[in-house]
Amino acid sequence: MVSLQSFDPSRSNTLRPYLNAVRATLTAALTLENFSSQVVERHNKPEVETSTSPEVLLHPLVVSRNESERVLIEPSVNSIRLSIAIKQADEIEKILCHKFTRFMMMRAEGFVILRRKPLPGYDISFLITNFHSESMLKHKLVDFIIQFMEDVDKEISEMKLSLNARARIVAESYLSTVSIGSSSDFVSYVSEFLP
Amino acid sequence: MILLESHSVIINDVLTDRFEKASRADIQFVDYDNVRFHLSTPSSKTQLLLSMGIQCWPDLIKYGAREHLQSEYEGYLLPQDQTEPEYDVSLVIDLEKLPGTTEERSALISKLAHLKSTAMASPFLSAFAEQSTLQANYKEPAGAQQADLAPAGEKGELKIVKYREEEAIYIQASHDRVTIVFSTVFKEETDKVFGRVFLQEFVDARKLNALQNAPQVMYSNREPPLEIRHLPGLKNGEDWGYVTFVLFPRHFANPSQALATINRIQLFRDYLHYHIKCSKAYMHSRMRYRVAEFLKILNRAKPEVATEKKTATGRSFRTR
Repeated sequence: MVSLQSFDPSRSNTLRPYLNAVRATLTAALTLENFSSQVVERHNKPEVETSTSPEVLLHPLVVSRNESERVLIEPSVNSIRLSIAIKQADEIEKILCHKFTRFMMMRAEGFVILRRKPLPGYDISFLITNFHSESMLKHKLVDFIIQFMEDVDKEISEMKLSLNARARIVAESYLSTVSIGSSSDFVSYVSEFLP
Repeated sequence: MILLESHSVIINDVLTDRFEKASRADIQFVDYDNVRFHLSTPSSKTQLLLSMGIQCWPDLIKYGAREHLQSEYEGYLLPQDQTEPEYDVSLVIDLEKLPGTTEERSALISKLAHLKSTAMASPFLSAFAEQSTLQANYKEPAGAQQADLAPAGEKGELKIVKYREEEAIYIQASHDRVTIVFSTVFKEETDKVFGRVFLQEFVDARKLNALQNAPQVMYSNREPPLEIRHLPGLKNGEDWGYVTFVLFPRHFANPSQALATINRIQLFRDYLHYHIKCSKAYMHSRMRYRVAEFLKILNRAKPEVATEKKTATGRSFRTR
């Protein structure tokens, strides 16, 4: 099947493999089991966050599309942390991206797997624990992450376009009201207002 | 609503209502740029007192605002010493001495509703007048040597209207144009970035054929433009923007044209900020929608909770 997207070289050439790599890595990393803390009795915390026992942490992995777009996956025995750096080409995209991720992270309790703060250097982070992967379907979780990565770029560029379109309409309609006119009975008119 | 109205809707509505039927009133309301209005009936129902407090009144009065209002609102304007305390201008409208026809009445209402823009118009009008005298006195420089001597003397007075606490309008006439500079401050990071996008569009929009006649727009952030750079106390920083409009005589060629231009130009700052806020609100509603969509996708990951199955009659099966 030929989809419209496949005509856009930037999408088909690099986005697909990028997302596929993230999907494969994430699926492979999502082998979590219940694991109580070795350091504190009766604690069961995400090991990747506490990082008190280095032997249960696995190698972190970066999947990178280019300088600005990359995903950091940090697996551990009972939890996995996934941080995404979203493409920000210019100042507007930076602002929009910041607003959007902030908006989402303020609603983190709704998104069970969303971390309230991103890792430094990244824009948004997810934390999946073994409890999440037990109560939710694993492949659907992966789907969600991939869908998120796809849509967030699209959303930001659409917002940017709509901002530009709005600015254009606003400027044109303002300037069109202050144009035209070329007669010269101005002097007689203004002399009335001279003090 | 893309364009802002230059008149005050409240004055318009209240007066239309009161002109039909006189009744008591004591309304305080505001307009753009911290302009306060007070509409009251202090003595009797038929004596409407409309007062306006405007922040830049000391500036406006220097450029003949009082005289301009006097000529515009002949018979309604109260003298300076009878002006309501805490306000700058007071008008009294006697409902028993209204003009007879409906057209005249609605013309009067619209004139009164334009009180703020009329007061703000005076520096613009005096700049336009200055431009015409400069143009009349202007001689084409005879040779190249004289050309570089000429420019110093042919500039009109630089008029400064501090229309908000920190922001000001600078108006300067010269022999072939009137330059208007707005200084505006963006209080927030987002406003700053959005403001830059909007202002860039204002500059670019003139490239359209239909808008060839529009005034030239320039903007600069951080650095104030050359016209006003010599003034003391100018702020320059990341969150300051300076917008310059260059009006040519064709923009104020006849009275109605001049008024339309003035009404538009003086609302520029409000217009810009209004649309910045609007786009922020729009972004917000978009994000709300998008986040709800993401939540739906995430919820698909949660397996359906097996609910108790029932038969058509409402009985349930029980496993034993």
